[in-house]
Amino acid sequence: MSPVLHIAANELRLMARARVAQLAIALVVILSAVAALTAISQGRESQEIRSRFQAQADREFDGQPARHPHRMVHYGHFVFRPLPALAGFDPGVDAFTGSTLFLEGHRQNSANFGDVRQSSLLVRFGQLTPAFVIQALGPLVLIFLGFGAIARERDSGLLRLHFTQGVRAGQVVLGKAAALSVVAGLILAPALGALAWLTLVGGAAPVAALTLAAGYAAYLLVWVLATTSISALAPSSRTALASLVAAWALSAILAPRLATDIALLAAPQPTRLETDIAIQRDLKEIGDSHNPDDPYFNAFRASVLKTYGVARVEDLPVNYRGLIAMEGERLTSSLFERYAERQFADQRRQSGLALALGLVSPTLAVRSLSMAASGTDLEGHRRFLRQAEAYRYAIVQRLNRLQVERLTFSDDSKRNSDPEAGRRVRIDPGAWRQTPDFIYRPASTTEALGAATPGLLLLGGWLALAGGLAWAASRRLERAGA
Amino acid sequence: MSRLGQELRLFLRQRLAVPTLALLALLAAVSVAAGVTEIRRQAETIARIQPLQAAEEAVVAAWVSRDGDAGNAAYYTFHATWDRPSALAFAALGQRDVAPYVLRVRALALESQIHEGETYNAELALPGRFDWAFVLTFLAPLILIVLLHDLISGEREAGRLQALQAAGGRAGLWTRRAGLRAGLVFVAVAAPFVAGAAVSGAQAVEVLGVLAVAGLYLLFWTLVCLGVGALGRSSVANGAVLAATWVVLTLVLPALAHIAINSANPVRQGVELTLAQREAVHAGWDKPKDATLAAFFKVHPEWRDTPPVTSGFHWKWYYAFQHLGDLSVADPVRAYRRGLESRDAWTARVGLVLPAVGLQTTLHRMAGTDLAAQLAYQDRIRAFHERLRRFYYPYIFNETPFREGDFAKAPRWAEGD
Repeated sequence: MSPVLHIAANELRLMARARVAQLAIALVVILSAVAALTAISQGRESQEIRSRFQAQADREFDGQPARHPHRMVHYGHFVFRPLPALAGFDPGVDAFTGSTLFLEGHRQNSANFGDVRQSSLLVRFGQLTPAFVIQALGPLVLIFLGFGAIARERDSGLLRLHFTQGVRAGQVVLGKAAALSVVAGLILAPALGALAWLTLVGGAAPVAALTLAAGYAAYLLVWVLATTSISALAPSSRTALASLVAAWALSAILAPRLATDIALLAAPQPTRLETDIAIQRDLKEIGDSHNPDDPYFNAFRASVLKTYGVARVEDLPVNYRGLIAMEGERLTSSLFERYAERQFADQRRQSGLALALGLVSPTLAVRSLSMAASGTDLEGHRRFLRQAEAYRYAIVQRLNRLQVERLTFSDDSKRNSDPEAGRRVRIDPGAWRQTPDFIYRPASTTEALGAATPGLLLLGGWLALAGGLAWAASRRLERAGA
Repeated sequence: MSRLGQELRLFLRQRLAVPTLALLALLAAVSVAAGVTEIRRQAETIARIQPLQAAEEAVVAAWVSRDGDAGNAAYYTFHATWDRPSALAFAALGQRDVAPYVLRVRALALESQIHEGETYNAELALPGRFDWAFVLTFLAPLILIVLLHDLISGEREAGRLQALQAAGGRAGLWTRRAGLRAGLVFVAVAAPFVAGAAVSGAQAVEVLGVLAVAGLYLLFWTLVCLGVGALGRSSVANGAVLAATWVVLTLVLPALAHIAINSANPVRQGVELTLAQREAVHAGWDKPKDATLAAFFKVHPEWRDTPPVTSGFHWKWYYAFQHLGDLSVADPVRAYRRGLESRDAWTARVGLVLPAVGLQTTLHRMAGTDLAAQLAYQDRIRAFHERLRRFYYPYIFNETPFREGDFAKAPRWAEGD
């Protein structure tokens, strides 16, 4: 047997006999399995609830009675953000963003009923998901089982014995790291099972699942190498434990919160209320539809009359009120889009700043990769918001067009005073059924991988760093042992 | 006293002592600074929205008062509400980063307005804020573990234990040493808090309350450290056992409790009630006006004898079915609220067993930044909305013109609301 394998096998035998090691591994594997099972079942349950609500909303929209089309513009529509298959592995920001959006004319509502506002402050302790178990607890188990791997043997003089038998320091480090990698494999196993299940049964993209598996394997490998190296470099096993736990606390506990505060401080965002007011103000500057002498809407009327070659709006072949509604919607929507894109850009800058702290925390790097590959990052929510806005605009304008084409100007103008006209402006509900349903287009695999790339690169950097550390530790051990 | 001074000199001479305490003090100071900055920013936002809101109201007033239609006034005028942070909020920001602390409402159906969310970066909200409560709950115990895990075992490993015991120190010595270290940790974490509280103008009673809770929490961890240390294992083993205990008590069990509580108390009523409320409100357009008004007059008999609605559209009828829409979902609204409160109550119960959860619950309650505070803000908005409706109703039902001067008479959000 090669010395490396020999050392690894010995270390594993030792771990298998130690009660603490058994307990730690069993605990994290059980926890990981529990997390995977609950996350998958919760994910499936909330997906079922959302599709049931979506079906209900679609049914209710289609089932509305004969109405004035503008009534339907205000009746609006509810859309629900579907949960991606891999949310069962890493729900990401799902609980922190509302999952339902009410779409109506000339208003842009917020996505509501996210779990975070419906939960007690326990939600801030972290959610028990396979991703959380590996990100936060996995490294800790590796540290507990590995901090003494080399330090202990140096304390007891065993290391010197190895060296006199001709074993090289590099082989010792490699062997110990190999043994610890087996532990990492055990920690990873339930999560890999969950990924396999989500791919085979849940229909998740295999490439995304493989990216997740590779990312988490790399993450744990970073900790395996760091633990082994520190165990070789530290003057005593106690110091090794202290510095490793400190590094873990910095990476997994401190850095994510610090990143949040730094990013928010550097790039604060306006509140929703201020944005609403700003949009109203901008709108008023373009044109005020309540003002009969407003220059913008006067010009609009003039251009409509010119297009149709008539002198009065009453003579138009179409319903002028509908045209006004369409023009108004066009204006508000363009403002909504401008403000939303500005907000998205702000958020991207914030997230970018936070990810930059991945330079000091591999946990931040793997978290970013994990959410991106699972499709549960903020970009996924933004994709939903953007598609929902496009859908909102499409159905509102479709309804407005019905008002333009199916209603006469004279009926529409006296619908409240003349009961007959009031009856005629209610159009056949078949039009509601013909309105297309909202179909969410999730990120393509290419897009998901693109979003995962920064995290992947950062992790690659960490892996190289950890490898370099292991090499340096071997060199130093070699010199000290000789 | 001189004995304690002696111990202090001994302790501070240790390699890890000063850097560890300084690190904790620094983190606590940064967290307090971050919290104070955030709360100041929120207070500035609240101050900033009021002139913005007034300007918008003036624009509405300008065109509405031309024909004095009270229905338009009620429809187009938004009314700002806000939830001012308490003096202790800087220490435990809680839900204030995800729940709106400024919200505008109109006299229309409330249930489609009150659940509106705030815009925030969910990726940043996910890990939570770096506030003082976080430093105390998560980091202070780790620092205690660093300083206390080798209290006895360290002396044994250095070969001094027997000499120390023989010198007759016995229990007094260890109490003194442990007390000294725990006390220094308390000072390191508490001093920045007291400074922050002074800047924020918190009352002495509140500050003492927080300090008492913090002291109890640190006492718990001190006792855990001493208990593990008394088992006579090596320093390394103590360190590992204590770190594992910390992980289980502050990460694993709270996360498990969260799953258990949320699945035992499902709250789907939020979405259900908004869907149902929309149906109820919009069905109002298709129902006979007399039936709608009759139902409304049951709740508001004072408007029964106002002129009847004859035309195709009248604001009376419109605002009547808006309010009836809210009333139609009163039961799911209560059920939703009960579900949320039950989650909160279970969390408080978990807090009796898990110190970290108990500490967080208590601190956020004291700071008024928890779920209960959010619900209380919603209650105030409900009461304010009621006042708004009752303000507009006389104009609408008596068909009194709404003039420019009437805008100033509308109810204003007050801190005492």
